[in-house]
Amino acid sequence: MLEIHSVSKSFPGVLALDDVSVDLRGGEIHALLGENGAGKSTLMKIMCGIYSPDSGEILLDGKRLVLKDYHDAIRNRISIVHQEIQVVPLASVAENIMLDKLENFARGPFVDWKALVAQAQCHMDMVGLDVPSRAPIAGLSAAQKQLAQIARALSSGARVLLLDEPTSSLTLHEAATLFALLDKLKEGGVAVVFVTHKLEEVLEVCDTVTVLRDGKLIETRPIAGLERGRLVEMMIGRTMRDDYRGFLPEPGEEVVLEVRGFKSEFFDGLGLSLRKGEILGLYGLVGSGRTELAKTIIGEYPRTAGELLVHGAPARIRSVSDALHKYRIGYVSENRKEEGLILSASVVTNIAITVWERLAGALRAFFSPKAERLRGEEMIKRLEIRTPSPMQSVEKLSGGNQQKVSIAKWLVADCDILIIDEPTVGVDVGAKASIHELIWRMASEEDKSVILISSDMPEMISLARRILVFKEFRIVGELADLNSTHHASEDVGRMIGEYLA
Amino acid sequence: MSEQDKGGIAGLLRAFTRRTDASAIVATTVLFVLFSLGTQNFLTPFNQFNVWRAASQNVFIALGQALVVIVGGMNLSLGAIGGLTVVVIGHSIEILGIEPWIAVILGLATGVLCGLFNGFFISRFKLNSFVVTLASSFIFQGLVNGISQGRPYSKIPREFTRLGKGDVLGVPNMVFLMCFALVVVYLAFRYSLLGRKLLATGGNAEAARLSGIKTGRMLLLANTLSGLFASIAACLWISRMGTAQPATGGDWLIVSFAVTVIGGTALSGGTISALGFLFSGLLMALLRNGLIMLGVNVYFESTFLGCIILLAVLVEWLRAGVAGKSRRL
Ligand SMILES: Nc1ncnc2c1ncn2[C@@H]1O[C@H](COP(=O)(O)OP(=O)(O)OP(=O)(O)O)[C@@H](O)[C@H]1O
Ligand SMILES: [Mg+2]
Repeated sequence: MLEIHSVSKSFPGVLALDDVSVDLRGGEIHALLGENGAGKSTLMKIMCGIYSPDSGEILLDGKRLVLKDYHDAIRNRISIVHQEIQVVPLASVAENIMLDKLENFARGPFVDWKALVAQAQCHMDMVGLDVPSRAPIAGLSAAQKQLAQIARALSSGARVLLLDEPTSSLTLHEAATLFALLDKLKEGGVAVVFVTHKLEEVLEVCDTVTVLRDGKLIETRPIAGLERGRLVEMMIGRTMRDDYRGFLPEPGEEVVLEVRGFKSEFFDGLGLSLRKGEILGLYGLVGSGRTELAKTIIGEYPRTAGELLVHGAPARIRSVSDALHKYRIGYVSENRKEEGLILSASVVTNIAITVWERLAGALRAFFSPKAERLRGEEMIKRLEIRTPSPMQSVEKLSGGNQQKVSIAKWLVADCDILIIDEPTVGVDVGAKASIHELIWRMASEEDKSVILISSDMPEMISLARRILVFKEFRIVGELADLNSTHHASEDVGRMIGEYLA
Repeated sequence: MSEQDKGGIAGLLRAFTRRTDASAIVATTVLFVLFSLGTQNFLTPFNQFNVWRAASQNVFIALGQALVVIVGGMNLSLGAIGGLTVVVIGHSIEILGIEPWIAVILGLATGVLCGLFNGFFISRFKLNSFVVTLASSFIFQGLVNGISQGRPYSKIPREFTRLGKGDVLGVPNMVFLMCFALVVVYLAFRYSLLGRKLLATGGNAEAARLSGIKTGRMLLLANTLSGLFASIAACLWISRMGTAQPATGGDWLIVSFAVTVIGGTALSGGTISALGFLFSGLLMALLRNGLIMLGVNVYFESTFLGCIILLAVLVEWLRAGVAGKSRRL
């Protein structure tokens, strides 16, 4: 249906796409894979008119298609779900979903709100987004915003649906709902392009796969008969070992962080404790209260009752500044674009921001940009952040590389306790393994403590050695023996499932 | 700079177009040359003296605005703070008979207090800076009118004007002061912890807060400094004029925004260029001076200024486009 013919695109210092051709057929789910910065998002944006290619052309039903902007794409019934969260914060969920179709609800000069909300609600139900449709979207979690964006794309009745990492912050449950929907669209003859770093999803739902590496087309082939290891090899050019890491050295008895009877708008008496050198996983469905707990701990959200003990002593944390500078607690946000990064600032600035105080020394007045840059460059190397220069502004990096920056700034901060919320959203398999390795080493070698919040089950199993299961703002179960017995992934998944049921 | 910028004049040129202050530098240089060639009196020492003094004045006014713009805010009460400072100083000297240097301290304190007032409401109650400073500009302006009853204070002692009217080897004292201020600004935003925190707050307040920066304090600080710079500018104004006019500050709002924007400080916050200030401050002074030299009807002055500002912004837009598109070699 949609043909891409030897398309190339360059940005200053980067050749993002180099002579790439892809054929999309109706009734087919086409996976687009590649490492961070391989050019996937760039290709998607070219297909929907956001970027224009330097050379090459696009054919729709055999006719040459020149898209001036995204509006053009919508007219041709091409629709996209962006990798980055793009919402109008203060508008309601319903408005955000119907944003590009407001004219459909025009009654003369007015907007027919009833019809708009009803339609939006219908699409929210379809994707399983269970929040009040008239509330502002700003209060939603990253995953819920992502669902809203999917609802927005679905409701436009597209023939070509481009999904750029739609499942990056979803749990298995919401993803399953999405895949059921995609199957239906497929039967209806829609051409779907699906970008993801979760290879299981590719094997499960896609029909064809195209792999990009460094902006070049490596291969397009049917999924049938492929297995995971082969996919990885196509993407990164080498095979990878299993991600299971064995056991952590038995964590001592010392409790570094204790939450006692937290009560707030969200919680009604919640408690947990974290020991030194431990990686504690918090698992749960989207909206189960894990991020809210993290933000209550670091003082972003208020609490009405309860106690927080750090190293056994009551702690007063009213802001991240207190958490970081007084108690050496860090928090990696799940929402890199809005909460994690200063997009217009350089990679170096974004990484070093957490150590500025320390670079400035006792006087806390000045620090040298050179020292800052050294810190930045070191992390760029350790996390293999792909950027033309350390001074490049972060907004120009690919999504996965932005995520690496968002992690890097907290790894460099050298915290005793690190709360990591969805560390590898949108990060490719190779880089994911290196981030996991860094987190693992924090606990196993440096004796730091980590709270890991993740919706990615394999990641949970690979890193966490004790898992608390969250449901509706309560802890409903604990898997305590992961550091002494090796359970198969399926077993862990099943045990968690039982607690959630 | 990325790899391909190294080496060659082409590379240097491309690096130059990436600077946010590039258009200000080019426009000012071009205008300076045009005026030098096109009019007879432009290069006379007397005229140059005035142009550079005006440029320095502009820079101080604009710094007051820029300090809040970089944290993503604005200060609509800048002119009123300037006016209030002038009146406080004039009133102290002429009516209360206070020593001039104490009057100056009172004046600067006024600016700091006004800035704190704005900053308190903006940071404590998370109010929009537009609304807060709009309201406070009325409050301050009312004080200006009330205290002065509209009368200028003309008994300003001689020594007060030494800064504004004097020179060293023909270079106005004010220019030295401006250069000093700009160097401080440059160093502060490059090397100091506070400066970098201010910039981070402007870049993304949410992310800055979640990186351990007390953004509320940064807003308070920026607004306080804004008030301080407004009152410094007011002191220079008295010193330059030799009288304390309550009407001082009436045109500061447009000047401050124009110089800030043309100088390459993004209105969305997060960046600043000291060099850009020097050139855009000079640009505004040149324009006013040039319009007079060319015999343009002074009553239409603001129309021309407005057009030029629009033009400058357009050029900046073009520059950003060119810098963004320039390809690999
Ligand atoms: N607007 C831009 N300006 C400059 N460079 C850009 C821009 N957008 C993308 N790039 C560069 O183009 C390359 C490809 O980026 P792209 O976003 O397509 O990667 P991706 O395959 O989607 O990666 P990810 O898996 O991390 O999302 C990267 O090296 C990136 O730095
Ligand atoms: Mg991408």
